[in-house]
Amino acid sequence: MSGRARVRARGGACGHGAREAGCAPGHLTATSASPGDSQASSRSSSISQPHEVAVSSDDGGRTFMERGTARQDFVDLSVCTREKLAHVKDCKAGSSGIPLRLVANLFSLDLPQDWQLHQYHVTYSPDLASRRLRIALLYNHSRLLDMAKTFDGTTLFLSEKLDQKVTELTSETQRGETIRMTVTLTGELSSSSPVCIQFLNVVFRKIFKKLRMYQIGRNFYKPSEPVEIPQYKLTLWPGFTVSVSHFESRLLLNADVSYKVLRNETVLEFMTDLCLRTGTSHFTEMCQKQLVGLIVLTRYNNKTYRIDDIDWSVKPTHVFQKRDGSEVTYMDYYKQQYNITLSDLNQPVLVSLLKRKRKDNAEPQMVHLIPELCFLTGLSSQAIADFHLMKAVAEETRLSPVGRQQQLARLVDDIQRNQVARFELETWGLHFGRQISLTGRVVPSEKLLLQDYTCLPASAADWSKDMRTCKVLSSQPLNRWLVICCARAENLIEALLSCLRRVAGPMGFNVGYPKIIKVDDRPAAFLRAIQLHVNPDVQLVMCILPSNQKNYYDSIKKYLSSDCPVPSQCVLTRTLNKQGMMMNVATKIAMQMTCKLGGELWAVEIPLKSLMVVGIDICRDALNKDVVVVGFVASINCRVTRWFSRCVLQRTAADIADCLKVCLTGALNKWYKHNHDLPSRIIIYRDGVGNGQLKTVLEYEVPQLLSSVSECGPGTSSSRLSVVVVRKRCLLRFFSETGHTVQNPPPGTVVDSEATRAEWYDFYLVSQTANRGTVSPTHYNVIYDDNGLKPDHMQRLTFKLCHLYYNWPGLISVPAPCQYAHKLTFLVAQSIHKEPSLELASNLFYL
Amino acid sequence: MEMSCNSVVGGNFEEVCPEKVIRFKPPLYKQRYQFVRDLVDRHEPKKVADLGCGDTKLLKLLKIYPCIQLLVGVDINEEKLHSNGHHLSPYLGEFVKPRDLDLTVTLYHGSVVERDSRLLGFDLITCIELIEHLNSDDLARFPEVVFGYLSPSMIVISTPNAEFNPLFPTVTLRDADHKFEWSRMEFQTWASRVANCYNYCVEFTGVGTPPAGSEHVGYCTQIGVFRKNSGKLAEPFVSQQHDQHVYKAVYTTSYPSLQQEKVLKFVLVGELLIQVERLRLKHQRMLRDQEKELDPKPSDTDFSQASHLLLGEAFTEAEKARIENSPQPFCEGEKFCIPLRRLLAYPKLHRLCVAEERMRSLIADSVCLSNDGSAVVVDLHNSWDYWPEDN
Repeated sequence: MSGRARVRARGGACGHGAREAGCAPGHLTATSASPGDSQASSRSSSISQPHEVAVSSDDGGRTFMERGTARQDFVDLSVCTREKLAHVKDCKAGSSGIPLRLVANLFSLDLPQDWQLHQYHVTYSPDLASRRLRIALLYNHSRLLDMAKTFDGTTLFLSEKLDQKVTELTSETQRGETIRMTVTLTGELSSSSPVCIQFLNVVFRKIFKKLRMYQIGRNFYKPSEPVEIPQYKLTLWPGFTVSVSHFESRLLLNADVSYKVLRNETVLEFMTDLCLRTGTSHFTEMCQKQLVGLIVLTRYNNKTYRIDDIDWSVKPTHVFQKRDGSEVTYMDYYKQQYNITLSDLNQPVLVSLLKRKRKDNAEPQMVHLIPELCFLTGLSSQAIADFHLMKAVAEETRLSPVGRQQQLARLVDDIQRNQVARFELETWGLHFGRQISLTGRVVPSEKLLLQDYTCLPASAADWSKDMRTCKVLSSQPLNRWLVICCARAENLIEALLSCLRRVAGPMGFNVGYPKIIKVDDRPAAFLRAIQLHVNPDVQLVMCILPSNQKNYYDSIKKYLSSDCPVPSQCVLTRTLNKQGMMMNVATKIAMQMTCKLGGELWAVEIPLKSLMVVGIDICRDALNKDVVVVGFVASINCRVTRWFSRCVLQRTAADIADCLKVCLTGALNKWYKHNHDLPSRIIIYRDGVGNGQLKTVLEYEVPQLLSSVSECGPGTSSSRLSVVVVRKRCLLRFFSETGHTVQNPPPGTVVDSEATRAEWYDFYLVSQTANRGTVSPTHYNVIYDDNGLKPDHMQRLTFKLCHLYYNWPGLISVPAPCQYAHKLTFLVAQSIHKEPSLELASNLFYL
Repeated sequence: MEMSCNSVVGGNFEEVCPEKVIRFKPPLYKQRYQFVRDLVDRHEPKKVADLGCGDTKLLKLLKIYPCIQLLVGVDINEEKLHSNGHHLSPYLGEFVKPRDLDLTVTLYHGSVVERDSRLLGFDLITCIELIEHLNSDDLARFPEVVFGYLSPSMIVISTPNAEFNPLFPTVTLRDADHKFEWSRMEFQTWASRVANCYNYCVEFTGVGTPPAGSEHVGYCTQIGVFRKNSGKLAEPFVSQQHDQHVYKAVYTTSYPSLQQEKVLKFVLVGELLIQVERLRLKHQRMLRDQEKELDPKPSDTDFSQASHLLLGEAFTEAEKARIENSPQPFCEGEKFCIPLRRLLAYPKLHRLCVAEERMRSLIADSVCLSNDGSAVVVDLHNSWDYWPEDN
């Protein structure tokens, strides 16, 4: 809240904020000019395949030369963790499994062997303030006319070396003034240097512009080929996300299909509808809630802005000061500048704070935007929660491996056939185009261990059929429990209970008859009934809810997770009403209830005998963005079937955990209690690491974990620790080639060469299946490793752990502890907003 | 190694050494562009060409005019055209809120003294700070090509006024590439002769007012506006010399517009759905307000207060009348029906000038229509409706 409040305070202090210096419509703040001129910096949300909605918060679009700082993910690449891990220094590849031929969405970018980029520093005498003039004078100088060059006013890159280290050039301005330019060689960069990588990204940015694509954020889109979803007022712009970087052994271009979501309405139209929905009494508050944080695209330039605030005191008829000091109303300004007539003179203005491009200025610059001229982009949280909408979007954006390959092939073809693009590549000596093939391995499938039965599931994607008649590993009988239901759902209860008992019996889960409490439909009625009837003796509360409105669920979960800790199970009336689905629903509920009571469903063979695995995830609280929710889930038995959890809310700016020592110590104590010893090995999977945070995780989180380990078991008896950073959202895709077509690689596919990074001990694992669309591999980066497991074992262990998520009888895309931690943080961040009671720590209450 | 090169930064020298020069406000080059913009505003030309377009700045300013459908730039510096072309591509927003009329922008590499039939039949050709860069041969051929061959309805020529130069320190010519700079008399004599020869009339004006005390030197930039005399007898040479393509097209782009069926459909469906949603919400609110009135509880003074929050465009009397005279939306059970004729009465749809029949066929696969096809049908309530008040 403080950020928003600050803006408002500042706006209010100057009466009608519009007069404030630097407070002008967006385009006035446009800075960069050619070469490599850039689009708006933006935080944009886009759909990346197949259906997850990715919000990338990078600020691509600026030339690196302007900013002087590297892009966030390049920062991660400079964290060289592998060199400290002796056992993988020479080879980090595994060997088990069956080799599989794969193609990746990577393309070769070959350079001549002795290729170098020549970096020069240019000074002017007399000095020129105008960057544009500096650039124009240099660009038009005959000496440099035919050379491949990129220049930002200070730093010049040339593909060819000038004869001398220092070259003096003179030019004349129009006024006849002679300007002396001194061009001094400052560096010769090899293709693997970070500056050069960024330089190459700029080259490709230029090429994409030549292909008539528009840059938004870091991606490039083709608005001329829109995909319409009219019923939801959405337009999708197809495009690509692209980056050049140095992979395991060479420079490659990574390209993936991406769609930009555009809502076919202006902010003004959105506000008008919102006003009709809410009425004026809550209107301003609702606007703030719904709009702040969204990304808008303006009509009169190609920029995107984040809405940081709404200023209701400023109207289009108010004046602001232009850069030259003259004053003009917003209304007149848009008429004069863009020939746009505003239709609504009563609208407020949106406020956007620009991130500073140059380091020196601390105060962010404020920009006023007119709602009528701003289009909404990305999906709202409402939209994301709408199953039908998301399905419609997925229909359009989910590409099969073949479809994706076609799009990529078309892109490569477009680049190679475009004369200007080809010329741009050739002048720098780049050869672009071949798609990379590599060899992956499919590690063996895992057997499932049940109470008195072991099976190799027919399908690793879904083994519910294999389990149908099997007893789960262990379960607590359920005798004292409540069912709270609305009067309308009363008729469903008996059917549900009988189905529950029918499915629970063979599982070995004894379900007694509950106490049934009928309440009316209001959320408060449910809560009151719970408060009245729940006592420490109750094992579980089941609520049958009339609708999926958030406040039913939230109030129940909040009370039962923290105020009065009892496992709870919420079921929607609608789910129970589905024809012919009752048995399936009952099976799912029975499994969840078993887990919530502390039971274990199945296991896989874990060869390491004293191993604790931990999952950590971090996210922001939904109500209070200043609060970070850290979820920590650790296994507490050797079979890796029982879990201990902690969830901590902390106030920090970065998504970095402060509380890991406490969490791990808690988990180790719990382990000790159960096993009368400490685990000899601990492997921690850390999810939710943002771009650019790798270094902080290594330097700030790993020491917390290490100090817990050494304090719990001093000396030689202490556990050995490994930390693996898990990234689900990576841009890499692998396709397996079969005949003339491509398809998704099978679960268990490991890639640990070519597409990996030389500076890391990392690998990709495809552990899940995708029925439709392209499967997305998960990236694992082992940043700390005392255990010294062979890469082979690390990979296979990770794969085994992807089998152990009890909420889904099949493989998932991350190790189970990560998914548990994710579920826990999600519950807390979305519904509970405080730390759940420790009494529930040994139950999977958050499923 | 010493080399020299000419600066080509047009008209920006005020910024180079600000303490020495007269500052124009707005800068002189902007005043020249504004002069052209005013002309476009007044005469609404359809086809406009800028000869010697350089870094395409003027074209960038002109592309926002709804009247212009063909915008052409010609320059001899191909590199400049290449590097500036993409500035002329449509803004992203123009794919969301497209223009009414088509617009094609093309940049040609070529010399203004060569004839290219693709520049025939223009309404306005501008030559801003161009002629002074022509050598005497080219200057001699210039009128014959631009006035005689291209023969547009209107030509604007601007050039420095040499009489103003003494006010600048230490300059003879304002740019090293200038072959000459004319006094007002010289320019006007040349221009009048040319106008006369090719049956144009010419008016002289300028931009860049001299400082107080130096009024006698005239504008810093002198401008001649040439208009073709109407009732001209014959179209010279044109018919027999069609398709003479000597210029090289360096860049071309077409804007999305309502003249394109796909775009029209997109806009029509979009505006229609917004209007339908608004009417549906209004109807719901009306129902809710009616319920409240039946309820004896004190009603909140919802819409009466906070008038500054009322958003949405205001209708003119004529628009109001048109809306009121169209068939009303109605409910059929849980369905809410809005007659197409009603929808077409709202300004944002009305302006698209689509007849009911055409509208029906354009929207048929995007919305649900009533059995007789006369109305759009939606659910009166949907799952998103109550969310804001729940929180």
